[in-house]
Amino acid sequence: MHRETSSNAAQPGPIVVVESLVKRFGAFTALNDVNLRVGIGEKIVLCGPSGSGKSTLIRCINHIEKHDGGRIIVDGVELSNRLADINSVRSETGMVFQSFNLFPHLTVAENCMLAPMKVRGISQAEARDRALGLLRKVRIQDQADKYPAQLSGGQQQRVAIARALCMQPKIMLFDEPTSALDPEMVKEVLDTMVELARDGMTMVCVTHEMGFAREVADRVVFMDRGSIVEEADPETFFRAPRTERAKGFLNQIIH
Amino acid sequence: MNTLDFSIVTQSWPYLWSGLLFSLALTAAAFVIGMVLGTCLALVQHFEIPVFAQIIRGYVAVIRSIPLILVLFWFFFLVPIVLGHLSGNGRPIPIGATYTAFITFGLFEAAYYSEIIRVGLRAVNKGQFEACQALALSTYDTYRHIVLPQVLRVASPIILSQTIILFQDTSLVYVLSLTDLLGAASKLAQLNGRLVEMYLVVAVAYLAISSAASQCVAVLRKRYALATSR
Repeated sequence: MHRETSSNAAQPGPIVVVESLVKRFGAFTALNDVNLRVGIGEKIVLCGPSGSGKSTLIRCINHIEKHDGGRIIVDGVELSNRLADINSVRSETGMVFQSFNLFPHLTVAENCMLAPMKVRGISQAEARDRALGLLRKVRIQDQADKYPAQLSGGQQQRVAIARALCMQPKIMLFDEPTSALDPEMVKEVLDTMVELARDGMTMVCVTHEMGFAREVADRVVFMDRGSIVEEADPETFFRAPRTERAKGFLNQIIH
Repeated sequence: MNTLDFSIVTQSWPYLWSGLLFSLALTAAAFVIGMVLGTCLALVQHFEIPVFAQIIRGYVAVIRSIPLILVLFWFFFLVPIVLGHLSGNGRPIPIGATYTAFITFGLFEAAYYSEIIRVGLRAVNKGQFEACQALALSTYDTYRHIVLPQVLRVASPIILSQTIILFQDTSLVYVLSLTDLLGAASKLAQLNGRLVEMYLVVAVAYLAISSAASQCVAVLRKRYALATSR
């Protein structure tokens, strides 16, 4: 399954290892024998038709979905049923959701401060400093004391990115971060993600934004019906997809 | 009796006032006991804790299908007997009408509040739980800081409506010979024959307090609607 690609990211060893992963929802097999390695600093774009298992795959990586077979090792910790392992993986893994999932009853700053205080045990002052710093990075520091409902969709998603970054994760997972946004807000979120990529963050992104994939991705992973069908660097993948399924998919999303 | 004479009301004001204070104190105590206990009952059901969840489901079903006045009688007569058995000598230990009222109202309201909170817990968006998981928050922190505050916010209009009903129901303590606002008024009315005046004044008092609380419900509803609109 593994095809070494012309990834230019330094890889002293993968930070995420997925081996023979199987995930079922009842009788439906969502992931069937999936293998994936992500190197430190590597940026991977997962794409594929809806129902292909790409979201399920990244949701397994931080154990929001429990896998039924195979292994997942994140930063040297294998995901088991042990709560300590699960929490250790989750605290090193930031996640951004399609529907933002901000906490509506907390201000933007409080959204960012809660987990660092409760999970990392840092002080309120330090958490606020860190939150404001990262909100500045995503260019919404002036909204820090507003509530999520007072912000636009694009701003909310940037808050969600800042909230995940406040935990100082080693990997960021993005689950269709721009799919719920109005078209004019997609760019501000993608710009933030590009900036994050330039800072060297390890990223696994489920997205259909092919411009983003071309600009940022070291590797594009194409999934269909629960399996990885094709992996290549973005230039090769977009110009010369090898499989018919990838060709069909690219034809559909480019029009 | 042909003309209304409200002088009797002003004369007996202190007695009415003490009745009103009792009504308010009983409402407040039943609210606090009911909310704390009701939240616990709702959480046990929400987490499906074996045996306890079934017992609580039965308790809530029984309490909600029996008139409050009957529950008051039960507690007044049964609790002393139960306490007597627990203490070992088998003789009933009277706990007095006031304690009976506070405990009964608290336990009774807990069943109603727990239903409100249980439904509220189910209404919290799945994405909120996933966000908490992704941030590695513990179950305790998830419920304490994210889930319960949202449930209480969403449910606050219904909780307040239930509390208004509770306030009106406190008038049932007359069966325990306790004197609340309505009890005070009816005693005075019978003493001096000024039934119309007394009951008018009491009706106005209930109306004023309940409609003020209803206004709060409306404000809460509006505020919650604002906070969730995009």
